[in-house]
Amino acid sequence: MTLLDYLQIPLFQRALLACAIAGSCLSLIGIVVIQFQLTVVRFALMHLSLLGGALGILIGTKPMWGAMIAIVIGSLLFGPLSSKINLEPAITGAFLMTGSLAAALMLFHVGGVPAMEVFGLFAGSILTLTALDFWLLGIVSLIIVSLFTLCYREIQLVLHDADQAQWLGVPVSTIRNSLLFLTGIAIGISMKLVGALLIDALLLLPAMAATRIAKTYKQLLVFSVLFGLICAVGGFILSLLLNLPTGATITMFGVLLLGICYLLKRK
Amino acid sequence: MSDFALELQQVCAGYGENPVINQLNFKAARGEFIAIIGSNGAGKSTLFRMILGLLPLSAGKIIIQSHQMDSKKDFDFIRTKIGFVPQGVQGGNLPITVLESVMLGNWGASFSYWRRPTAEDKEKAAKWLEYVGLTNLASKDCRRLSGGQRQRMNIARALIREPDILLLDEPITHLDKHSQEILYSLLAACRQQIPHLLILMITHQLEEAAPLTDRIYLMEKGQLIEVGEAP
Ligand SMILES: Nc1ncnc2c1ncn2[C@@H]1O[C@H](COP(=O)(O)OP(=O)(O)OP(=O)(O)O)[C@@H](O)[C@H]1O
Ligand SMILES: [Mg+2]
Repeated sequence: MTLLDYLQIPLFQRALLACAIAGSCLSLIGIVVIQFQLTVVRFALMHLSLLGGALGILIGTKPMWGAMIAIVIGSLLFGPLSSKINLEPAITGAFLMTGSLAAALMLFHVGGVPAMEVFGLFAGSILTLTALDFWLLGIVSLIIVSLFTLCYREIQLVLHDADQAQWLGVPVSTIRNSLLFLTGIAIGISMKLVGALLIDALLLLPAMAATRIAKTYKQLLVFSVLFGLICAVGGFILSLLLNLPTGATITMFGVLLLGICYLLKRK
Repeated sequence: MSDFALELQQVCAGYGENPVINQLNFKAARGEFIAIIGSNGAGKSTLFRMILGLLPLSAGKIIIQSHQMDSKKDFDFIRTKIGFVPQGVQGGNLPITVLESVMLGNWGASFSYWRRPTAEDKEKAAKWLEYVGLTNLASKDCRRLSGGQRQRMNIARALIREPDILLLDEPITHLDKHSQEILYSLLAACRQQIPHLLILMITHQLEEAAPLTDRIYLMEKGQLIEVGEAP
């Protein structure tokens, strides 16, 4: 089949569109992950989703539902929890990560949950996207982009200098918690799109490359969106052309892009 | 009603069980330059946090320009008239130009959610950058400033609000002798140009500042004690 043949098929059309939306919008969340240093958090949420998946199977639903609910609850609680017990998000993340993994492993054992079925959560694919997944992606992307547009300066202030933002009267914790929440949801969606192991390709690599070469905040946003779009769409099309696995091709694109940006601008 | 720019009456505040500020009384008039000294951990920075409304009072009153500060709304309003240079050099890892960072200092005063910054805000930022001698760095990435340059940027960021009250928390740490002199002549010029500007400055190096100041206070046991001349 040629590329054009592929793109006649609704399944592939939807996947291509999903790549474009996810690539351009979710990469904005990558900026948040980098600036708040949330890399541990995303591991934590992934493990939490395992626990959710295991619970889901126990009560007889699909593991994906349990995982999604766990991620929503986890990311809702994340910000407030970190500030309440006065811990860095990274440390709260470490707690959640080990705790939920241990609990999930216990459930596998005690409840006789088939571990492999739960670990299947980690192997998402853009080609298995349901209509519901697709709409969820669209809505979350819209929310992310609106937040970054409407609160352009406020988010900039919070990321640049949270202390200053605080005394200027910017609602720092509301903004931070909203961003943390959206981060969690974005992680959940990317798990479904490319699989847990390749989340970084979608979320982090474009934003990292943009952070490297951008000189201003506006450039950072524009480059992140652009890079994300190029990686996701480019990777998807290339994977069709060369008959390679989609997630891996998108990731390879991201890695190459990041490498180029680092070479272009050495510190 | 009082004519003082800033008045603290029997103020108590602290963190949990730690009463850092204890029945503190203080008055400052418009146009004064007041230095505050005190040992590490005495509560000097806490005092500023309190004036900015970042730390709730457990007792007492803060009166700024005849307004008693009761609610968050009062502080939101009064903050538009305060410029603050915090202690220490912080800065995230966000790519952002020096000019833009200075402009952001005006958030809440000249722009906020529904009023986005205009060309005028940019011009203002450029003007204050020139004032602190950083014009040539306007388009430089903040992350690549030296400690002293960043400090000067922070001062521009406070002055852009054209404040009535300027709070400086150890502004000369990180500055070399030359930059300290620049800062002091800057502050002297500020006072000339804005006669009603009240400046409170926390410092550990009083000698250089003393000639500029009207009064000197020592922060001790949660209170401010006037010590007049440098001890
Ligand atoms: N966020 C906080 N939470 C709890 N305690 C705090 C907090 N910030 C300061 N403290 C405590 O309050 C006291 C006063 O601190 P503050 O920062 O006001 O001192 P300072 O006079 O500014 O000292 P320095 O000269 O070192 O800057 C200290 O004992 C400090 O440990
Ligand atoms: Mg201090």
